[in-house]
Amino acid sequence: MSEGSPGGPFRTDDSWTIVDSGTYSEATQQALERVLLDRVASGEIGPTLRIWYRESPAIALGRFQAYADEVAAEYVEREGIDVVRRITGGGAMFVQPGAVVTYSLYLPADLVSDDIRESYAALDEWAIEALQELGVDAYHEPLNDIAHAEGKIGGSAQRRTDNAVLHHTTMSYDLDIAEMLRVLRVGEEKVSDKAISSAEKRVAKIADHADVSRSAVIDALKRGVREREGTTERPLTDDELASAHQLVAEQFDTAEWNRQL
Amino acid sequence: MSPRASKKVPDGKLVRVDIEVDDRIDDVRITGDFFVEPPQARRDLESELEGHDADADRETIIAALETVEATLIGFSIDDLADLTMEALDE
Repeated sequence: MSEGSPGGPFRTDDSWTIVDSGTYSEATQQALERVLLDRVASGEIGPTLRIWYRESPAIALGRFQAYADEVAAEYVEREGIDVVRRITGGGAMFVQPGAVVTYSLYLPADLVSDDIRESYAALDEWAIEALQELGVDAYHEPLNDIAHAEGKIGGSAQRRTDNAVLHHTTMSYDLDIAEMLRVLRVGEEKVSDKAISSAEKRVAKIADHADVSRSAVIDALKRGVREREGTTERPLTDDELASAHQLVAEQFDTAEWNRQL
Repeated sequence: MSPRASKKVPDGKLVRVDIEVDDRIDDVRITGDFFVEPPQARRDLESELEGHDADADRETIIAALETVEATLIGFSIDDLADLTMEALDE
């Protein structure tokens, strides 16, 4: 794998692909992460940016989190909110259609620094620049946050295989924070630690800091990649979707996976 | 007993260690918003803690955890040892 990559991931002769289509359930979305990561690892597809569109509110649980610690189970079950465990570590995210911007980068490993801290910064940088172009004073906050002076805009999480890296990010565009606090249990340790509680609990929304539509944010992200690399745009293939649907049935829609911890 | 210990690692992640303990550590669960590569290593870390005496010392715990080949991101073997000792003290 590479030594540091000062230019970030944008130094390949391969053309990038942008996938910006399709609205799917949370389980299908998380299954697609596995499918597309594996296809980059096998060389079937090259560096790819995918923009997500969701069907319904959901919780995306970090791979190593305990369901009972993070999910306000009674409320979530009553409201019928999907809870799906990701293949990436990190924290639980509450998501609502139209209120967040989620995207994924699937990259050959040689485009990504072996240094994990450095790679989070490098893989967030282009998105932060896209936000800045829209007038949002965003910055990278190690390890894996995209922040604003008024709070956390979003977070990234990575999964590494031998040959490929998944780096996916969810940002708040106009998330219902009151609903988020009903849906997620806020860790008691975080609340009791006053030094960090104010920062952890504050969420900064893009819509509060720039007069732009959500689709304008997505366009700025796509432009950010396009300006750096030659890109083609395509929808997901039937085969990619069929693989994802199979994984939904086998894994991402099962209690065995989602409630394993 | 089923004690639990948890901490927010400074500049790091939230880590929780739950143990089932009698004379020995029977069962361990390590959870939180950290990252581990490869992901299966989380279970390996748990397994290394299981079977030790309830009065195991910190050095023994550290030595056991260090046999696992894993990249821990947002926490360390020392953090896991601290949490395990704290849970055992309860």
